[in-house]
Amino acid sequence: MSTIALAAPAAMPSAPARTSGYMVLAPSCLVLTIFFAMPMGTMIGMSFMDAQTLSPTLLNYQRFFSDGLSLAGLYRTAVMSILVAVCVTVLGYPVAYYLARSRSRWRALVFALALAPELAGVVLRTYGWLIILEDRGFINDMLMHLGVIASPLPLSKNLFAVVVGLTHVVLPFGILSLTTSIQGIDPNLERAAQMLGASRLSVIRHIILPLSVPGIVSSLLIAFTMAASAYATPALLGGARFKVLATMIYEQVLFYIDWGFAAVMAIALLIMMLAISFLGIRYETRRSARRSNREGGAS
Amino acid sequence: MNRVLTCLFWLAIALVLTFITLPLAVVVAASLSPSSAVTFLPWEWTTVWYGDLLADRWLQPFLLSVKIATVVAGISGVLGVLAAYAVVYERIPGSTAIMAGLLSPLSVPQIVKGVAIVLFLSIIGLQSVLGTPALIAAHVVLALPFVTRMAATSLANFDGNLDRAAQSLGATKRQRLQHIVLPMIKPGVLSGVTFAFIISFNNIPLSVFLVRPGDTTLPIAVINYLEYSLDPVMAAVNVASMIFILAVIFLFEKIGGFSAQLHGGSK
Repeated sequence: MSTIALAAPAAMPSAPARTSGYMVLAPSCLVLTIFFAMPMGTMIGMSFMDAQTLSPTLLNYQRFFSDGLSLAGLYRTAVMSILVAVCVTVLGYPVAYYLARSRSRWRALVFALALAPELAGVVLRTYGWLIILEDRGFINDMLMHLGVIASPLPLSKNLFAVVVGLTHVVLPFGILSLTTSIQGIDPNLERAAQMLGASRLSVIRHIILPLSVPGIVSSLLIAFTMAASAYATPALLGGARFKVLATMIYEQVLFYIDWGFAAVMAIALLIMMLAISFLGIRYETRRSARRSNREGGAS
Repeated sequence: MNRVLTCLFWLAIALVLTFITLPLAVVVAASLSPSSAVTFLPWEWTTVWYGDLLADRWLQPFLLSVKIATVVAGISGVLGVLAAYAVVYERIPGSTAIMAGLLSPLSVPQIVKGVAIVLFLSIIGLQSVLGTPALIAAHVVLALPFVTRMAATSLANFDGNLDRAAQSLGATKRQRLQHIVLPMIKPGVLSGVTFAFIISFNNIPLSVFLVRPGDTTLPIAVINYLEYSLDPVMAAVNVASMIFILAVIFLFEKIGGFSAQLHGGSK
């Protein structure tokens, strides 16, 4: 994920330096132990316990897999995240290509427009979509004024609204990862193909798309994980009619106060995310292994 | 053929940029709309909604969010620099594993961290710390890995020869830390701290479990209100908080943050 090269320090650490090294590390470790490791351990423990009697049980897991509601929530979360991942990557690609290749003075403006919303925070953007998609919102209001429709279209409180809202939230990250990947493709390849008579379309199909596959994969993965763990956008745009794991977890904790079951749901979400990240890491390692094989064979 | 493709390309970019800016434009328009129902395109405008921002209902959560974000930025700044110093500069044994441990909260979704913290506090009978103390602790857990990573990257990237030169000229360790290491990593640390402030200020998935009545952060106050009303006050609150965030970024930038980092030095 993040590789931080350990730079050579000025001197080899002496014994007292090491002790002081551990000492300055202590506050971070303490905070993360108390407020991250111990809570995670408690949550995993709770998932195997009866919330009332605190006796060990597998009932919470049994309930998760037999209860249609939670499996439906898991399914909705997966469908929503896949749709968001695809929308982000498809919408982000042209912008990323422009950002990676353009030398025009408009580039800075496009860059700012594409990324500035990230600073606005999730609530503001979700609120904007609420105004636009509501039954009496911008789009329905306009269409009804124009007499195109008689009753409002169901644009909010459903899968459509949540996918639109989340695509908007995640898009800047998709654009960034695609841009980085396209920038890494040697522009001479495109020029060479064009000089040899390839059409724009076949340059895109046979050169740019295949070479940017790593960027596409990372954009899909980032978008999927961000969408699956989002809370505020599904809560506001999906409401009670479109519940995903994140919003169901919240309900279990605050309304039903069923901690064991909430813990199981949280673990289900965590496992889904870790599985996706694992796929990403495996893809990366395989790709770099293939590349080093090829380079090794060529030289 | 090529021309059609070029047109399609520009059309796609225009559509995507419209998609990105539309909700922001709508919120700004709504905040200036005179009617209390948010309809499309206000033909007249008013700033009356911005006057409502000073009511306790919004001012209290805003001040609490600022307080929490400031404390969180401070704590995670100090702890992150210390941890990065130990791992990267002192290179204590096992540093790779320790770094992985310090960054591990990043791989857990916020909502899961939130549940875990609220369950933990309830189990050990500390519900009483819900509200400000729990919010600060949870936001530190969220922000600390980011700050640690940025500080570690700055420490790993700075030119160790400067440090070695100072050492060979007889500078004590304290002098080197004070006059070389800290100034060199300042931009990276400042951008980490700014980031910590912003993610704490805007946070929802953790805060939603930890607030309690009378101790509510601004984004939570906003989403609670949005559940039953979309009136223009919300738009004004949102626009004002976005302007506040931009001001914070501008301020940290002035102190010597990001662009200095881009130019590769502290001054």
